[in-house]
Amino acid sequence: MDDTNTEADVIIVGGGSAGATAAIRAQERLPRGRVVLLEKAHVKRSGAIAIGMDGLNNAIIPGHATPEQYVKEITMANDGIVNQRAVMAYAVASYAMIEQLDRWGVKFQKTESGDFDVKKVHHQGRYVLPMPEGYDLKKILTRLIKRAGVRVTNRFAATRVLLDDRGRAGGVVGFDVRTGEVAVLRSKTVILCCGASGRLGLPASGYLYGTYENPSNAGDGYAMAYHAGAELTGIECFQINPLIKDYNGPACAYVTGPLGGHTVNARGDRFIQSDYWSGQMMLEFYRELHSSNGPVYLKLTHLAPETLEEIERVLHRTERPSRGRFHLGRGHQYATDRVEMHISEIGLCSGHSASGVWVNEHGETTVPGLYAAGDMACVPHNYLLGALTYGQICADSAALYAVQADLPPVDGDQVEMERKRVVAPLSRPNGVPHHQYEYKVRRLVNDYLQPPKTANRMAQGLEYFARLRDELDEVGATDPHEMMRAVECSFIRDCAEMAARASLFRTESRWGLYHHRLDYPEMNDAEWFVHVNLRKAPNGEMQLFKRPVDPYIVPMSRDELSGYRGLSVSDGDSTHVAPAAP
Amino acid sequence: MSALGDRETVKVAQSARVGNAQALRVLDVPVVVDVTKCITGCRICIDSCPVDCLAVNPDTQKAHMRHDECWYCLACEIDCPKDAITVKIPFLVR
Repeated sequence: MDDTNTEADVIIVGGGSAGATAAIRAQERLPRGRVVLLEKAHVKRSGAIAIGMDGLNNAIIPGHATPEQYVKEITMANDGIVNQRAVMAYAVASYAMIEQLDRWGVKFQKTESGDFDVKKVHHQGRYVLPMPEGYDLKKILTRLIKRAGVRVTNRFAATRVLLDDRGRAGGVVGFDVRTGEVAVLRSKTVILCCGASGRLGLPASGYLYGTYENPSNAGDGYAMAYHAGAELTGIECFQINPLIKDYNGPACAYVTGPLGGHTVNARGDRFIQSDYWSGQMMLEFYRELHSSNGPVYLKLTHLAPETLEEIERVLHRTERPSRGRFHLGRGHQYATDRVEMHISEIGLCSGHSASGVWVNEHGETTVPGLYAAGDMACVPHNYLLGALTYGQICADSAALYAVQADLPPVDGDQVEMERKRVVAPLSRPNGVPHHQYEYKVRRLVNDYLQPPKTANRMAQGLEYFARLRDELDEVGATDPHEMMRAVECSFIRDCAEMAARASLFRTESRWGLYHHRLDYPEMNDAEWFVHVNLRKAPNGEMQLFKRPVDPYIVPMSRDELSGYRGLSVSDGDSTHVAPAAP
Repeated sequence: MSALGDRETVKVAQSARVGNAQALRVLDVPVVVDVTKCITGCRICIDSCPVDCLAVNPDTQKAHMRHDECWYCLACEIDCPKDAITVKIPFLVR
């Protein structure tokens, strides 16, 4: 590739859901501009929805929900720590995105009268729109990217954002993961859409790539934004999900819930009122797992054969289609066997929880010219539709900025330093193999950061993460593929340090299991009704600080704020459980 | 398991039988390629893999799993025009 001389108006790093809509929209806004999309894998099968998605978890459809209701629900689900303006920007723009997807040929479930067939899964409102044929989503987006005229470079791993002398984003450095060739791409703006930090904790199976998230999402964007000086927020609000044990795919409450499936303990009793994934729900799940009532199961055995067929038709073809093979391999069937569930390894992901790069309602980070969207950008519980919507929002902002900005000069020193860093493992072909390094850092993440958290344990973990920074200089690579894995090791280590420091800083418990501290078991609104943000200070140290929660634009009563607390069903009494189905 | 029915049953039975002769090291890797069906010069599965663990085997000129880093997502299997690929759930997971 000849990108050493590439000059662009907008560079999008990552061609998943957010990156796809960002690229399409940016090229629409700048018909004569250069829009470059860099993808570490191949856009046709990349990102969290590489194999499709079975529904939209947060659709705000007129007649079913309003943007105000949704902002309330998310404020509630995230214990009040949200930038409501950013959530509202999504809530207002996302219905147009659904209509756009509908026109693009994405097939949503509709009622006989042709309306969107919305289901209730959340604690309060109705937001789940099934997409039973969602396996085609990425193909449709890929076609649109090509048609728009976006310049796509596949198998390119961006590793650092370049900054000019005024601290503005001015391009990226990275390398071709097949040839190892390092390239510099200059640009007026950079939109990071790199997905979750999905290879942070080690799955219970011990298999490095047996993660919930697509394992190509190694936290690249978190590390790139951090080293560019951008603020990150809510990192202590980990992602932890209730999943099929060992398989580590979603169980999936959003598909089975509306059809009558639900979570039960070993006694066959329900123990949570709402299967919507919130921190409080996860804490109830965790307690049940670790009580004499555990293990925990997804129960489908009571459903009619045609309902089970419908569930299989969706779950075994979309998102994680190998789950049917997993069940068959163990000799299990939905009609006769409960599906054992477990909680996932920890990760960072704003799509599911709230850990990400700080962005405002325009998708702007705190670095001029740098934007972020999707799982890595903090708009809590944003999911797929949030990624698609914020991709567009970022592209609109970046296009406006690019029109009046000049192309920042390249700082040769930054480029040279990064080039040395990424190629270094190739000079040590007999160095520590990347998978050993990765296993070690992720095993230590489990040992010291997995909730419930304590200061002593996390401080101990931090010592090991500091040592692991030095040990990066021992990691070797024999080819460009291993060079990619080695640089991912550095991203994973950066995320581990951020997760430890942010969790140590917030000396209270919040978000149920996500930030459950044994040494500070109570929520303390007097001191901690704030965002915890972090950034790389000019001296290179990781700096943590409080950022006030902006006044709400949708007022919340005290009762509404605590609406997600107390989700447990006491004593397995299932008579008080609200039906999941409408 | 009636919806996917036959194809799944066949794949599960197949994955119990077939080995990994095309792996460079003798490991039970998840992606198994039937070299009699795989088209020389076709790189569709290699393009599809989100973790870039597939490559052309220099000895056979057919696709094989070069790095033991499979997410068992089935992209390669679904996209293969010759139905030459069977993805097994990795041993640690199954």
